[in-house]
Amino acid sequence: MTMPFRALFLGTIVISLFTVGPTAHAQDKTIKIGALFPMSGPGSYFGAQDKQGVELALEQLNKAGVNGYKFIVQYEDSACSPLPATQAAKRLIEQFKPDVIIGEECSDATLAVMPVVEQAKVPLINAGSSSIKVTEPGNPWTFRIMPNEVMQGINLAENAAKRMNAQTAVLLFENTNAGIGNAQVFKDNFTKLGGKVLAEIGFGRDINDFTSIATRVAGLGKVDVIPTYTLEGQGLKITQALAQAGVTKGGGGNAIQIGTIWLPFGFEQKAGKAALGYIRIVQFDPTDTRDVAKNFAAEFKAKYNADPTHLNAHAYDQVMLIADVVKRGGKDAQSIRDSLAATKNYSGVTGSVEFDKSNQNIKMDTIHYMETKPDMSWTSLKWN
Amino acid sequence: MTTTIVLQQAINGVVLGSLYVLVALGLTLIYGVLVQINFAHADFVTLGAFGAYFFMHLIGGGYILSIAVAFAVGAALGWGINAAIFTPLRHKGNELLPLIATIGVSVMMQNLMLAWFGPIPYAFETPYSSQVIRFAGIFVTWQNIIIIAVSTLTIVLLYAFMKFTYLGKALRAVSQDRETAGLMGINPNQLIMLTFVIASALAGMGGAMLAPVLVLTPFAGTSVIVKAFAIVIIGGFGNVEGTILAGLIVGLIESFTTQFLDPGLIDIVVFALLLLMLAIKPTGLISERREENV
Repeated sequence: MTMPFRALFLGTIVISLFTVGPTAHAQDKTIKIGALFPMSGPGSYFGAQDKQGVELALEQLNKAGVNGYKFIVQYEDSACSPLPATQAAKRLIEQFKPDVIIGEECSDATLAVMPVVEQAKVPLINAGSSSIKVTEPGNPWTFRIMPNEVMQGINLAENAAKRMNAQTAVLLFENTNAGIGNAQVFKDNFTKLGGKVLAEIGFGRDINDFTSIATRVAGLGKVDVIPTYTLEGQGLKITQALAQAGVTKGGGGNAIQIGTIWLPFGFEQKAGKAALGYIRIVQFDPTDTRDVAKNFAAEFKAKYNADPTHLNAHAYDQVMLIADVVKRGGKDAQSIRDSLAATKNYSGVTGSVEFDKSNQNIKMDTIHYMETKPDMSWTSLKWN
Repeated sequence: MTTTIVLQQAINGVVLGSLYVLVALGLTLIYGVLVQINFAHADFVTLGAFGAYFFMHLIGGGYILSIAVAFAVGAALGWGINAAIFTPLRHKGNELLPLIATIGVSVMMQNLMLAWFGPIPYAFETPYSSQVIRFAGIFVTWQNIIIIAVSTLTIVLLYAFMKFTYLGKALRAVSQDRETAGLMGINPNQLIMLTFVIASALAGMGGAMLAPVLVLTPFAGTSVIVKAFAIVIIGGFGNVEGTILAGLIVGLIESFTTQFLDPGLIDIVVFALLLLMLAIKPTGLISERREENV
């Protein structure tokens, strides 16, 4: 190699180093987020809406980055079910090597994933699983930003007994950890307040026709409230069957369906008049006047030409909380976990976040009550 | 327990059983003629349901006509898939190949529907779902009346077709002895195609009837297919009359288990009955020699 050619060669390498250097550096400064969402099966509507919230958050964050970090997400289908969720979590951890994971939605799936993330020492942020077991006993690597079944159940039972003056209830729930747990908490607290539970009716996710269940409820006499814990599909059919049987307000009866965070926005429009008077807890109040909520709603509408649902909102919050943690110095799994645990008064679109020792968000402003009006729109009840 | 509630649950059971019969009839027809289980049958049901849904919501068609559309969608799909996939495999002489192919077709169809229609449940409302007739403490929707009427009409027409038409008799001949039927001038391949088309059309129509009852997603059919298989086994594989009887019995078991026991026990009761039938009367409720089936 001649001298001039060698100089040219070395010069090219040096220039390349200067040019490539910062790019390589920027690529290194990436926070990898693994997303465990149900993309198939009866809970797949969760995944579709979660993804929209995540993509909006990424678009906003990656414009400028946070503390020099960009965010990338790898989605895996966890199918709202323990086995596929566990396999998806292992795939994520082994192949993508995330700094933090968000998801799952269904409690059974989240409970199955928790030991996997604990062993891998990757923090998991959950926004959709209400089972108390997620945080009690929980594990140091799992954080929940939504109110758990006990927080929701106690609050719902108190409001049923005190604000709605309900004396009798029939519990309808799917036979899962979350369904059974939610129903049990309501029962315990409603009966403590003097209410009477006339029947507890659990069913599998393969039940399609709820006419027989509605008939049974209709035969139980005067029912004031019907706490219902199911996914959207079965929820629709239950609401319609109860109205057809003349049990609920939507069918000319007196009973009111109530519920915790299970159903997505738009449920009422699908259920039609049968949903009249339904009172349920949602994670995102579209009438929220805080800037963070208003801006989210506006930007979501601009991107998707649709109003956001609480699933969009809580997925968005999960990513934005990670960004907040990175802003506070989180840069890898361990530091993100530690910063998450130290979170105080983070203001998200679904409400505030502050974790207790079990990594459960203790803020009650994440519980928003909505009542379905005759035109199938909502009234925000502002009970919290 | 009042008589009204028992009567109401009996009506609920008959309606549900009629829906199961519509789905199970196609399964039993295919088994009767081909001695083959079609694992993709559930997806024909789902596609029929979506056919009816989009006919109503995109074209603005009426519900009754949408049942015919779903029938046609099922028939076309049955013809296409049998011609493109099952027939060539059947000609290879290995009976396992078309059986395995039905599983492949099922997975493929579910994922195609997931890509086309998305995972969010569709609300399939008909004008008849919310029209409730109340009489002496009993309630029944017009939708339920349509389900019972269409199911009854389908059963009668299918029965008449099998017993009194040349094609029906030819189908029975093929189910009894394919080779001898061929020697008598009957083209078994054409009749196998006809069986697939009828069975798939019934599945599609069943989809249109089920859609207002089911949660309509790309996986809707799979939620009823396990029950349909149970019904076919309880009734006697390939036996149309047994399938009808078993469908109604399973529907009634579901409603009365819900009323008197617990809906969480439905599958236990139904599948306990299935096991009992296999142990005591493996030929099914209406036992006939196999060649008498279909």
